[in-house]
Amino acid sequence: MVKQSRKAFDIARKDLTRYTRSLFIWVMMIGAPLFIAGLIYLAFSGLGGDGGFSVPSTRLHVVNLDQPSAESGGFAAGTLLLEFLRSDELSGLVEVTVNRDEYSARAAVEAQSADVAVIIPEDLTDTVLGSSGRATITMVQDPTLTIGPGIVKSLLSSFLDGFSGSTIAPRVVAQQLDGRGIELSPQALQGVAMEYATWASELGRSQGSGQHPLLDVEAPPARVARQSTLAKLASQILAGQLIFFSFFTAASTAQSIITEQEQHTLARLFTTPTSRTIILWGKLLGVLLLVLGQAVVLVAISALLFGVQWGQPLSVILVLAGLVMVSSGFGTFLMSFVRTTQQAGPVLGGVLTIMGMAGGLFTTGFESLPGFLGTVSLLVPQGWALRGWKLSLTGAGPSELGLSVGVMMAMGVVFFALGAIAFRRRLA
Amino acid sequence: MSTAETPPASAIRVRGLHKHYGDVHAVRGIDFDVQSGEIFSLLGPNGAGKTTTLSILSCLLEPSEGDAWVMGHSIREDSMAVKRAIGVVPQEVALYPDLSARENLNFWGKMYGLRGTALRERVDEVLQITGLSDRQKGRVDKFSGGMQRRLNIGIGLLPRPQILFLDEPTVGIDPQSRRNILDQVKAFNRQGMTILYTTHYMEEAQELSDHIAIIDQGQLIAYGRHEELVEIVGELDRIRLTINTTSDTVLGTWQTIEGVRQISAEDSSITIMADDSNTVLPRLFETAAQADVRITGVEVQEPNLEAVFLHLTGRALRD
Repeated sequence: MVKQSRKAFDIARKDLTRYTRSLFIWVMMIGAPLFIAGLIYLAFSGLGGDGGFSVPSTRLHVVNLDQPSAESGGFAAGTLLLEFLRSDELSGLVEVTVNRDEYSARAAVEAQSADVAVIIPEDLTDTVLGSSGRATITMVQDPTLTIGPGIVKSLLSSFLDGFSGSTIAPRVVAQQLDGRGIELSPQALQGVAMEYATWASELGRSQGSGQHPLLDVEAPPARVARQSTLAKLASQILAGQLIFFSFFTAASTAQSIITEQEQHTLARLFTTPTSRTIILWGKLLGVLLLVLGQAVVLVAISALLFGVQWGQPLSVILVLAGLVMVSSGFGTFLMSFVRTTQQAGPVLGGVLTIMGMAGGLFTTGFESLPGFLGTVSLLVPQGWALRGWKLSLTGAGPSELGLSVGVMMAMGVVFFALGAIAFRRRLA
Repeated sequence: MSTAETPPASAIRVRGLHKHYGDVHAVRGIDFDVQSGEIFSLLGPNGAGKTTTLSILSCLLEPSEGDAWVMGHSIREDSMAVKRAIGVVPQEVALYPDLSARENLNFWGKMYGLRGTALRERVDEVLQITGLSDRQKGRVDKFSGGMQRRLNIGIGLLPRPQILFLDEPTVGIDPQSRRNILDQVKAFNRQGMTILYTTHYMEEAQELSDHIAIIDQGQLIAYGRHEELVEIVGELDRIRLTINTTSDTVLGTWQTIEGVRQISAEDSSITIMADDSNTVLPRLFETAAQADVRITGVEVQEPNLEAVFLHLTGRALRD
């Protein structure tokens, strides 16, 4: 029995050797899915790495003339604004150069060595703290540009809105107290302005680091939180391609039983002291191992090339096992109906493409599809495979994958059994 | 009948073998024995049932009726033991074209249960026997037809079989490779191997065989040594004529000539079995001239297996 079982491995090994020598198999197994996913990835790569359209960085020259008075208590609005513009989070949008005087900043814009110049007035801090009437930040821009200056203007407005409050706050406090017959000293009013300015300053810092103090954004720790939009898109496309080509490879390799029949080697195998059951299992083992190899290689390469995070290791292993089982089983089942290798081509292409479409493999990136398509997809094994991968991609644990993997395994076993019975009858 | 009831007196014993596919009867009740150490040929035209018989004996097909014993093992009840006793060389080249000669031999050796050193040594031997040692690493699809045939035979030799089945091993190859294969078959036999050989080439059966069974339409129509078979047609001469028109014009007249025993015709080629070619030939020319038919070729042969086949079936062996 052991000797016979070894022969199954020998047959599988022989088949794997033959497959790996076939350029067609390499192209269809690894090349095609990566190529298609790569094309789509490149087509969408204009979206940028963090989910927005990429825009060229704006060359910004800043002149900080702000001279806070002694009453400011060390608070400097100009410095704060400069820090905000130079923060890491804005480094992709603006490229800040500090100039000492207004003249050289304006000259840089005129010479088009800068896109925008911002001149912070010397009384900015005092104005913010209410001791001075009005201060104006001057923005000089290259008239031929629109997006860059627009971004700078928006950043300045956003930042200064916070400080506008510090001039309004003392007035509101003074009016309210005046209505109740209480008069505040100028020092007390400046204290209110100072307190507001400190709060605004904290707000500016926290916004600079990408957070808002009044908004708490959280993600479950097990979920993949930092995946970029592009990586997510690539993951979805890759999952679809991985499933489609796993089914394709399985059916192509199951076709080797027919090829051996045509090459007369199957009949010759039957004249050796090897049982037909072992020969059939050897052939099926070859299919299983090849699809497993393909899936592992595709998962690994896509993680490296496209930054796809397929999910928790155990989840990935489970879904891979389910995919290998169901695709190999279905490939064997499908090929048991085919009589010649000439028939196999159209059957392979036609059936697998239609089932792939039904399973949603070619529409993985679309979010707003009609609901009934989701139901239809679960009628075919490809749909369950996609469901499993989508769950894994969102970080689902093994317990959440139980249904998908279970259905894939069950379908795989049933298809395998039906295919094996059909082949046994045919080869009897 | 069980294995125990049938002593292995013969290397192969075939009794009442039938094979039918629906209404088509490929083999119709064949009986024969092959003695250990002999070369036994199944001779017959294409479609006679030779390959079907060989496929049944090598346990590739199950017989519809009857049984056969190979080295005492029933093909019905102990097919695995039968497979261990035989080496099979199919009519078609059955190799993996994208593997090298050595890789092919290694794989098939494993299928015959060889492993490790025994496998390596046997593969080396077979490469030497087939003259492919120098090309052992070459892909089989780059080999010539003759080399592929040799490797095809080599695989059948891997298990050092007691009996070697060769199914028309010389079909479609050049004369030199054919000669080489026939010499090899004789060499295997000298080493003690029993050989069951199928062919539709009379000359091969005549040259190689200790015993010959002539098979036609699924039935064994003659069996014996070459000399015994030739005696069936007695001392008849075989005259093959080629004429410049269709045979219909003279066939009727020639059948009435004294000394003509049998006539078969195919287009402008006519084969005649006659008592004495010397007396019959002038009458053939004379009547042909009267019918305005020109004889463009004449060939007279001593009695042979083809004559036997013609005598028994009324058809030429090449049909």
